[in-house]
Formats: sequence, structure tokens, C-alpha cells
Amino acid sequence: MKKRAVRQAARFAFLLASAVLLSACVTREPFIPAHLPAGAQTSVELDATPFFPQDKYQCGPAALATVLVASSADTTPEALVPVVYLPARKGSLQVEMQAAPRRFNRLSYSLSRNLESVIEELAAGRPVLVLHNYGLSFWPKWHYAVVIGYDAATDKFILRSGKKRRQEWRARTFMVAWHHGGRWAMVVLRPGETPASADPTLYLEAAADFERGASPADSRLAFDAAVQRWPAEPVAWIGRGTAEYRAGNFSGAARDYAAALRLDPNNVGARNNLAQSLLDLGCPAQALEQLQAVKIDALASPLREAVLDTRKHIEAAVTSTPVVDPIRCPSQL
Amino acid sequence: MKHSPWRKFAVGILSVAILNMGMMGAASAGVVDTAELVTADRAADMSVVRSQLDRAEVRAQMEKMGLDAAAVDRRVASLNDRELHRLAVDMQNAPAGGDAVWLVGAVFIVLIILELTGVIDIFKKT
Repeated sequence: MKKRAVRQAARFAFLLASAVLLSACVTREPFIPAHLPAGAQTSVELDATPFFPQDKYQCGPAALATVLVASSADTTPEALVPVVYLPARKGSLQVEMQAAPRRFNRLSYSLSRNLESVIEELAAGRPVLVLHNYGLSFWPKWHYAVVIGYDAATDKFILRSGKKRRQEWRARTFMVAWHHGGRWAMVVLRPGETPASADPTLYLEAAADFERGASPADSRLAFDAAVQRWPAEPVAWIGRGTAEYRAGNFSGAARDYAAALRLDPNNVGARNNLAQSLLDLGCPAQALEQLQAVKIDALASPLREAVLDTRKHIEAAVTSTPVVDPIRCPSQL
Repeated sequence: MKHSPWRKFAVGILSVAILNMGMMGAASAGVVDTAELVTADRAADMSVVRSQLDRAEVRAQMEKMGLDAAAVDRRVASLNDRELHRLAVDMQNAPAGGDAVWLVGAVFIVLIILELTGVIDIFKKT
């Protein structure tokens, strides 16, 4: 009986040893050079990225503090423990890691799940928060770390991780852990910054999430950056329009909503907001004109209620101020 | 004074609903939030009722997971409907990044060796 166990252990050790030896002979082609986007430097290390050694189980707060402070937000891992740490899970969840930067007036953006995006952000000077899995699918061991650089010549990534200020990882090893962690990566942005690797839809989603708690001025910065970079995206114009509206600049808002409608004439949200802005400008007749073609019955909640509400206010205003002020009310939008 | 669990539940839902109404009124005077327009075409089923149920669920789970009431309030308030829904559905099993434990490292090393020797190739997809 005992003999058999020993034999089995020996066989396993032999297999493992031969696999190790084999791995020494097999050199697979370097990884980073093959995934280096055009124009990116061959080697980057963001030395100035702060380092916060983690406490037990608290790589979440530590990694989050690293990227937040790198984007000049004022915080510490200790301050982030009550924000993202879940005692019973002995860790932090991705959803909360992503929501937290908004509390510090930052946008969080999840990268597309490929290595090129990570490298592009690093090349643009932005550290990248990643989720690693050192376990197996049925026995996962999750860990957050921050990538601060790469070197195509040695095929290595450089990380701030756990209690290590500077850790070099072979690119393939990094990829195994990142791949088994779902290839999740995020960056933190100041209002007005867009990620180097940004996808417009993903960025606009992040900006819309940011809008809810942000000041009109910061919200304007976030959407203005989108208008500059993707002028063909109606949502970029809508977002900037809403920031203008909240700041009390109704004519600016009307202009932006009108621009969104030129790109997407069937966007009822934009039309509703344009009508509201015209009403606030004191132009109820023009506001009403905007809503006339909208088939309210075909709309889903809560947009339906919003349009009904806007129309009610406009109709009340039309009867009380029937005269159109030609100076204030734009004839051409 | 003792209240039935049902009554507590109903009061909880209602107070969240009322709080929500207040927030909606204050946040947008007239214009529709951009977030609603971004997600409108993708998640038309995002009803107000569901988001309130999600909120109650996340709140209950966070309290069970060892957070005090004040922290739960702040954390739930900072999440949007989409995020609340993701948590409500999967809070027990979603990846929770904690420690880099090197005991499990042994398993990981085997994985890396398998990858390096070409037994498995995770990069084929890219």
C-alpha cells in the first residue's frame, strides 16, 4: 500500500520535472513585441506611480489607492477599506472597484480585454489596475495589482503588487494570471481625459456614470473631450448639452442637443432635452414644435413620462407667453 | 415593540422608494440623464421596481457580509442601477481580489509550465 503511494508520488515528480526541463528547451516567441501597438515605445516604466504595501486581504484598497493617487486624487488605502473591502469575502469586488473613483471626482474606464489596450495606456503614461487569478477556475485566488510598465526587449511587465514595490513578471506568466482573471483591467481618468485605447461607447458609458455625481463643470469637461475626439457620436453631444443645461447655459444646451439630433434624428431623449432647453430659454412655441412629431405612445418608460411632463410644461407656457421673442429664440438650430 | 419581518421589509422598500423619488426630482430638472439615454436601447427592462429590489438585496447582503449600516448606506448610494443589479445577482461568487497567496502558487506554476510547454495555449483566441 505504502509502496504504491511512493511510486505514485515519484511518477508525479518525474512528470513535473520533465515538464520543467521541457519548458527550458521550448522557447516560445516573445509576447510583448507581438502585441506592441504602432507608435508605442519599446519600454516604459512609470516610476512616479506611488506604492502602498497591502495589508492582509487588502490588495483592493491598496491597488485602487495606487491608481487614484497617480491621477492626483487625495486618498489612502486605509480610507478606501470602508469603500471597497468586503470582510466576509476577504477581498474587493470589481463592481465596487469601478464605482469608487467617482467618489473622488474621477472616471473609471474598463479596458477592452486585450493586451494592446493595456500597453497603449502604459505608453500614454497611465498605470493600469488588473485582476489576476493565481488559482484554477474551480479554485480561484484573485488578486489586484497595478501594471506600471513593460519592456519589449526582455518581454517583461513591471508591477506594483502586494508588498512588493517593484515586481517583474515574464509577459507569458502575466498573461496566464490575467487571462484566468477574465482579462479585466481598468484605468482612472481625470475629467477631460480620454483613454488612449478608448472605445467611444465604453467611454461614453463611463462618462454617463460619472455625470450623476459630478458638478456640471466637470461633467462638461468629460463630455467635451468626447465631442472633440468622436464628433460623430450623438451621445457625446447630448452629455455636453446636459452639462450646459445644468450649468444654466440653456442656449449652449440647445445647440448641443440640436447637433445630436442632426446625427440621430430619431433620438427622442435628445429631442425632449432640446424642447426643455428651448422652454427654459423662453421659447415655448419652438419647444412645442420639437415635440410635435414625437409618437409618445410608442415610447417606453421612463422616457415616455419625461416627454409627457415636458409637453405639459410647454403647453402651460405657450398659453401664458404666446409672443415669440426673435432675439432670444434661435430661428435655426 | 415588535414588528413582523414583513412589515419591516415593506417599510424598507417604501423608504428606499421615497428617497429615490426625492433624488430623481433634485437631480434633473427637466432634462433626461445621459446615463438613461446611453442604456435605454440596451437594457429596456431596467424597471424602477427592479432597481429597488436590487438595492434592497445588495443592502441585505452587504450587512450579512460584515459591513455596518452607515458604510452600507454610502456604498449602495454610490452605485448605479446597472452596478446594483450586477451585485444583487452575483455578490457571493463574483471575483473578490484579496491576497496573492503563494501556497496556491504551486498550482499556478503547473499552469504556467503547461502553457510554456504548449500543452495548453490560452492565447490562441487573440
